[in-house]
Amino acid sequence: MLSTEPATTDISSPLINIQHVSKRYRSVQALKDFSLEIPRGTTYGLIGPNGAGKTTLMRILAALIIPSSGQVWFENNEVSWTPTVIQRKVGYMPDFFGVYPDLTCAEYLQFYAGIHGISRHKQTGIINDLLELVDLSAKRDELVEALSRGMKQRLCLARALVHDPEVLILDEPASGLDPRARVELRELVRTLQNIGKTIIISSHILFELAEMCTHVAILQDGQIVAAGDVEGIIQQVEGKRQLDIHILQQERLDDAIALLNNNPTISRVTFDEKKGILADFIGDEQALHHVLIDLISHDIPVVSFAPRTGGRRLEEVFIQITEGSDQQ
Amino acid sequence: MTFFALLTKEMRLRMRQERTVWVLIIYVLLLGLLGWFYLSRSTSNGSSISYDWNAIGTTLYQLLTLIQIVLTIFITPAFTSGAVNTEKELKTYDMLLCSQISSFSLVAGKLIAGLSNVLLLIIATIPLFSLVFFFGGFTPLHILQDLAVFVITAAMIASFALLCSTLFAKRSVSTAIAYMAVLLWLIVPFIYVYFVLVPMVRDQQIDQQYILNVLVWNPLVILSLNGGLFSYLSGNYIFAGIQIVPWIAYVGFSAVATLLFFLLSLCFVKPYLLSRIRARFIAYRKHRRKR
Repeated sequence: MLSTEPATTDISSPLINIQHVSKRYRSVQALKDFSLEIPRGTTYGLIGPNGAGKTTLMRILAALIIPSSGQVWFENNEVSWTPTVIQRKVGYMPDFFGVYPDLTCAEYLQFYAGIHGISRHKQTGIINDLLELVDLSAKRDELVEALSRGMKQRLCLARALVHDPEVLILDEPASGLDPRARVELRELVRTLQNIGKTIIISSHILFELAEMCTHVAILQDGQIVAAGDVEGIIQQVEGKRQLDIHILQQERLDDAIALLNNNPTISRVTFDEKKGILADFIGDEQALHHVLIDLISHDIPVVSFAPRTGGRRLEEVFIQITEGSDQQ
Repeated sequence: MTFFALLTKEMRLRMRQERTVWVLIIYVLLLGLLGWFYLSRSTSNGSSISYDWNAIGTTLYQLLTLIQIVLTIFITPAFTSGAVNTEKELKTYDMLLCSQISSFSLVAGKLIAGLSNVLLLIIATIPLFSLVFFFGGFTPLHILQDLAVFVITAAMIASFALLCSTLFAKRSVSTAIAYMAVLLWLIVPFIYVYFVLVPMVRDQQIDQQYILNVLVWNPLVILSLNGGLFSYLSGNYIFAGIQIVPWIAYVGFSAVATLLFFLLSLCFVKPYLLSRIRARFIAYRKHRRKR
């Protein structure tokens, strides 16, 4: 059965340790001296333009290809030397996943359970659990061919979970999905996060990644440009946070801007008809609270007051970082 | 466990294809029609008392076995030449590699699933062959010998086609190469015998035994010898001074070739086998140095 208890092992030690990994495909250098530590129980997002080396990295982590140089350690196992150990612990969902159209959903999962060495008497329980998890119980005996793309994607995710792996590697899981299917997939990833799975996920939709991931690594030209927890990276790159402030009475706008300009934690204030007041803020949550109190105590009718969401900020950080690398 | 899971999946997929049923129907129909055509031609004049039913039965049996082997040779590659690379085309190969399935289970599962289709064709024609029993003229031992030749030929061609499917990424390429190789295997020895060995035998430069030695690895020749069709070739195959009955020599050669193709498929079915062996060796050496 799929274990629903969070992992109890030491979460401080990295689960995966990538050390100076390079991978070359004939004339193309896919990864260059790439090093990264992935802590246990995190949801790690890999961000990068096409050709940055995300898929290569994921395939190395899934023991599908071996690096040209460097090592990848999964706890005490080197990935290239012990592929069978790794494949027991890792569930991989490639970007272009395939299905056998002439099998039913249950038969499809039964096949993968079988080739993961799960005994027949356990298979039925696991298959039922997984179909319920991905909300495909009603489609149990329908041919895979008849499923929508979103359903196939969820079935493929169930397939990756069939042997209850410790780590899930999802390569562009949301590509080609409609907005509703994306939301469902995001919810599914959150559920898996809650049951303690370590998830490595790549996506072009940075807004979604920022919402799902605890950590991100930004890749460009096979190299790591920035890595760490989402907030940490944004702070590291921006050194500041942007506040979105909306007020009710436009006649108080000048007062609000003057107040913000006088606040030592605010470095720059701008106004946009659509976006409202945008203020660059440097400080902790306590200082942020004081900015709001300051506005309210001067009778400024604040309608909304929020630091900009991680997604948009992550997008800006990504563009800023990759532009910088391009110029170099 | 992993082997049976793969075999079950393969059988499900194959048996759900319409093509499988049509191949079976056409195969039996073709064989039946050719047999019926021969019978109607042989019995078209004179009364039934004047016929040598034994001779008709023997010839009919020989005709059916030859047609059966030709059909087996040309149908078998189609069942396994896309076994592995179709997984690549379907984008399911990576998911197979990510599982606990061993190279052995993968190759054996694919081979047996492909072979079972061919065996199904052979089994489906048993009622047709049993009709020949009414005429007599051959022994059950003949049938068993010929059955062994059918099965080992199918196994060898299937394992070769499977090897092609592990070597080439595209199904069309592996199928074309498998068919081309089978054709060369069948034809080249005949060309060599006809243009090189027969003139030499005629000039008494070499013994007739050489011809048998060259043609012994050919199912058409073996089935013809079994049925006594080749009066030109007789005797046993001689290997290192040991005399071996031709059909046993053929089964032996084909079994060795099947094993070789199977082992090569094991090497190529999963990528990086040699790199991983080397990495393990380096790790082992490092470990020993540390100790």
